[in-house]
Amino acid sequence: MALDAITENTAAAGARIGKIISVSSLKVDIFLESTDIGLRDLIRTGAGDGGVRFEIAEVSGLTASAVCLGMTNGLKRGMDVYRSGGGLDMPYNDNILGHVFSPYGESIDGAPPPGGAVRNIYERSLAMDEIVIDGDILWTGIKVLDFFAPMRKGFKMGLLGGAGVGKTVLIKELIHNVYRGLQSNSVFAGIGERSREGRDLYDEMTEAGLFDKISMVFGQMGDNAMSRSRAGYAGLTLAEYLRDEKRQDVLLFIDNIYRMVQANAEIATELARMPVENGYSPALLTEISEVEERINSTENGSITSFQAIFIPADDLNDGAVHAISQHLDGQVVLDRGVAEKGIYPAINVFATTSRIIDPEILGERHFSLVEAALACFSRYDELEQIVAVLGIDELSQEDHDIFFRARKLRSYFSQPMFVAEQYTGIPGKLVRIEDVLDDVEAILSGRLDDVDEQDFTYIGAYLKERS
Amino acid sequence: MANDITGDLGKILSEKVDAIKSGRNAYATGRVHMVREYVIEADGLEGAAYFERVQVGDDSEGYVDAIGRNTVLINLTHVGKKIHVGDKVVAMGKQFCARYSPDAVGHIVDMFGTEKMLGRTMANRADIPIESEPIPIMARKGVTRPLLTGISGIDMLYPIGRGQRQLIIGDKKTGKTQIALDTIVNQKEQDVLCIYAAIGKTKKEVKDIYAQLLKYGAMVYTIIIAAFNDDPAPVLRSTPYAALSIARTYMEQGRDVLVVIDDLKRHADICREIALLMDKTPGRDAYPPDIFYSHSRMLELGCQHINGGSITILPICETKGGDITDFISTNIISITDGQIVLSAKNFEKGQKPAVNYGLSVSRLGGAVQNPELKKAGPPLRRELLAYLEQREVFELTNIDEMGEAMRRRMRRGAAILEMLKQRKFSVRSEADMLAGARDVDRGGEGSGEGGGL
Repeated sequence: MALDAITENTAAAGARIGKIISVSSLKVDIFLESTDIGLRDLIRTGAGDGGVRFEIAEVSGLTASAVCLGMTNGLKRGMDVYRSGGGLDMPYNDNILGHVFSPYGESIDGAPPPGGAVRNIYERSLAMDEIVIDGDILWTGIKVLDFFAPMRKGFKMGLLGGAGVGKTVLIKELIHNVYRGLQSNSVFAGIGERSREGRDLYDEMTEAGLFDKISMVFGQMGDNAMSRSRAGYAGLTLAEYLRDEKRQDVLLFIDNIYRMVQANAEIATELARMPVENGYSPALLTEISEVEERINSTENGSITSFQAIFIPADDLNDGAVHAISQHLDGQVVLDRGVAEKGIYPAINVFATTSRIIDPEILGERHFSLVEAALACFSRYDELEQIVAVLGIDELSQEDHDIFFRARKLRSYFSQPMFVAEQYTGIPGKLVRIEDVLDDVEAILSGRLDDVDEQDFTYIGAYLKERS
Repeated sequence: MANDITGDLGKILSEKVDAIKSGRNAYATGRVHMVREYVIEADGLEGAAYFERVQVGDDSEGYVDAIGRNTVLINLTHVGKKIHVGDKVVAMGKQFCARYSPDAVGHIVDMFGTEKMLGRTMANRADIPIESEPIPIMARKGVTRPLLTGISGIDMLYPIGRGQRQLIIGDKKTGKTQIALDTIVNQKEQDVLCIYAAIGKTKKEVKDIYAQLLKYGAMVYTIIIAAFNDDPAPVLRSTPYAALSIARTYMEQGRDVLVVIDDLKRHADICREIALLMDKTPGRDAYPPDIFYSHSRMLELGCQHINGGSITILPICETKGGDITDFISTNIISITDGQIVLSAKNFEKGQKPAVNYGLSVSRLGGAVQNPELKKAGPPLRRELLAYLEQREVFELTNIDEMGEAMRRRMRRGAAILEMLKQRKFSVRSEADMLAGARDVDRGGEGSGEGGGL
């Protein structure tokens, strides 16, 4: 790792600072020889480049607690520890594009170390006057997203879902549609997710020749808590370089921000801090705000982020999920019940929303169609229970119409996705919002009552493709 | 007690004495201070390393699991005679390791290389680390080669590839282990080494599994690594890691390995037990906050390695009341590359394997299927799911009053479901599966009367 840009502590790097006095799986305590060390400074066992590295987490008099960046196996009491520079850095220069990094700033794609300027991953925070809140609407080509949860540049869109309902597929589809569509520089931060998916994404981007505009950071689920906890900061530092130095509009994909909170809970436990509910770190809200408040647009450029959020135990009221979703401008909620019916993207339309569902921004037609569609789905849920008990024949004509139109609409909002062709066998489709509005209007008005509901599943636009 | 020093211990002590003479080391011995089940606190042991192997008293063994400022916490992996406060604890100067002999293929062994049927240690045992560094992203490659289970409902609809982690999840007695056993039997002549890791099973159950695999000729390429119900908890916790460590050495030689872990719910409970006995702060449902990482770093060893070898993992997870959304289940689902969900209701109705096709997922899908299955699978799955949903909604509706298109779909759906039924140990070839699918097509095309109902 390049050490040339580390500032004030450079002189002391390599100097002995104390001895280990206790060891657990993630943490060591150190008896310090001087108090000249602060939170988030890096230390290591071994005077040279070798040894195990730690980040200082707490200091109390002449003892410090430090969290391990790797494995603590084999560490003993009495071992010397040395200063290892000012803190975690990421490369902060043009070499970041087309490369894959660890959260500690190391190149992990077999490329030589990036070299050049580096920047501390915690350094940047934004003042209120820097933040810009306007942006153009950003269509994703995914019917259900554009209809119920439209985006604009600079937005933070959360993709929430329990295990195995399609968050990652959706994030990959967004990378496919939005990144490929805009061709703007992007950052992908893989936090606590599958290494296999990271590898697949790398391969897909390389094969498609799209890798030169993207930079990736991975702290995956096989890596220790520090790696997962810091991958978000590291990814942000890369995105900030593109925004602030290259003055660009940046797409930031984070999969999965919940894993950062989870890793922080592991670290807090090792530090013997009192937990809040479900074992999360007491500083849960502070930690998540520290990251989310940095994801904003400035005069230099915008950062538009898509953040996958895991819902543990399918519990939407989980404290961590709640803490993250406070920061979002819009959210797409994925639902196991919808996935079970084979409808993907498996979206819960009632919980899916966006800050710009507003007639002044979207126009009257889009807005009122959203309201009508929601009313229709809402009545359908009630009717489904009636039908289960009394059968379909007992419905009034009006309810009968709503019942079948809602089923058609539900089928219509399924969509073949480019990255899911291996599951569906159907090539992906991009759909324009104008076509979605036409189709939804036609279904709701009854013009398509004679069409079988199966004819709406896994299609793109309906009317346009048949006219 | 301490006068009777022989073997390993004697050797280590004399090494230590030499070390002290040459001024290099301090005494790595201590005294037992506290005994809490299998957790020991010891004074002294100044030079003990984290995860070092220790001997406690005359004949108990364990490893260092936390080094405090004045004391050391030890987890016992072997409990001999009763341990008293003041008993001697000796650090052995090396990491706590599993032991493995390549001769174990065909046998039931524990993580220390003891043959359990004969109760003898195996020849050619060598130390093998229980855990090592994660496999880097760039040492992996895409999962594309199929690992066939011989079960139509899986190979056609929710396929498994070499290097995939596919969870098998369901209540007690829904056939979870059976799917794993069928898969092992189906690896005959496929050049796949199979490792069945039994975590917290009874001796009777493991013996039964051994007998079945032997009967179907599958033990020739299978190792059973067992940590029984009554083994010390630290052994139960470490055994799946040891099993994967063994698998990793084979994979790094370019072999394909299949690892079944039966089951991870029990493993999670063991981790919780140990963490609570060690006074760690509990998190959700009293599990330690790093329970996700305990499983994620284990299952992340499943991969297609760039050198051609692979580790496929079929972890098993037991649920209660058919709820797959509890904490541990959703954790594991979020790690694996898909899940086969088994339902008690299907099992009772005689739909076996009792797969809940709506809730099952394969995240790799057609990427790991041979071309013909890849073509046949997705439409079948779509039709089946639409049928299952419609069957539920229109349960009370007279089939004659439905539209023609819907009636045809209902008939075809029922025929597909019937085609997917399969007895245990009756694995099918890909050709048989495709023939079954063609039968459904022929039945459904006719006058509307067919469908084999």
